[in-house]
Amino acid sequence: LSFTALVLLSFSGAIGLTFLMLGCALEDYGVYWPLFVLIFHAISPIPHFIAKRATYDSDATSSACRELAYFFTTGIVVSAFGFPVILARVAVIKWGACGLVLAGNAVIFLTIQGFFLVFGRGDDFSWEQW
Amino acid sequence: MSGFLEGLRCSECIDWGEKRNTIASIAAGVLWWISWWIIIDAAVIYPTMEEFNHSYHATIAFLMINAVSNGQVRGDSYSEGCLGQTGARIWLFIGFMLAFGSLIASMWILFGGYVAKEKAVVYPGIAVFFQNAFIFFGGLVFKFGRTEDLWQ
Repeated sequence: LSFTALVLLSFSGAIGLTFLMLGCALEDYGVYWPLFVLIFHAISPIPHFIAKRATYDSDATSSACRELAYFFTTGIVVSAFGFPVILARVAVIKWGACGLVLAGNAVIFLTIQGFFLVFGRGDDFSWEQW
Repeated sequence: MSGFLEGLRCSECIDWGEKRNTIASIAAGVLWWISWWIIIDAAVIYPTMEEFNHSYHATIAFLMINAVSNGQVRGDSYSEGCLGQTGARIWLFIGFMLAFGSLIASMWILFGGYVAKEKAVVYPGIAVFFQNAFIFFGGLVFKFGRTEDLWQ
């Protein structure tokens, strides 16, 4: 089952990246600034991992550290959506490109969330592998 | 009919068990970061200072309010911190004062600086107002939407 999930997640990730690239590379558009949202995608899991590592030993259901991590993760997600909108408002990119980039964002973030749901469950998630 | 508002006391009804803190953090995060993107938007479109006054007090207010946990103000926590319970209360008081002050100042800027003077572009004033309003409500949600019982 997890093999199927992996294949499906990689497919949706590819679709998301395709939307993003279409938003940049189509002949009508041709502007590559929206690729900067990839930075937001890459750093979005980081607060979660930092909080998980910091509160590894505690049994509490929640903690200030975890909640701060959720706060920052939300910020990164909102920023990834806000950045193309601002680019479109100053006419650096066209609104059509903005729409494609936003769609790509949504799919990629759903993929990342899917990764966490499917593969994040293990209790023997040991950090020595890093 | 007389008792129908009794069921609406929201301090008890928003307790969806363990998820409450997560949802509050996410909601506060959305409000806060949207406010910042509104300001970035206004700053990008109107880069000069006379059209748009770049000031960020509300952020400091938010940080101050949320730096002090509820437990410290009530005096429950084991460690006193460097200022003690009274210090925590004063800090929270100043933080809330800054928050309310920023909200009122943003309304003042919107109405006094933009609407009353009938400036051609009202959008920076509206942006400042919404930024402050969102940060204010985001701060409130972050502070009061989470319960510290889940931290035990």
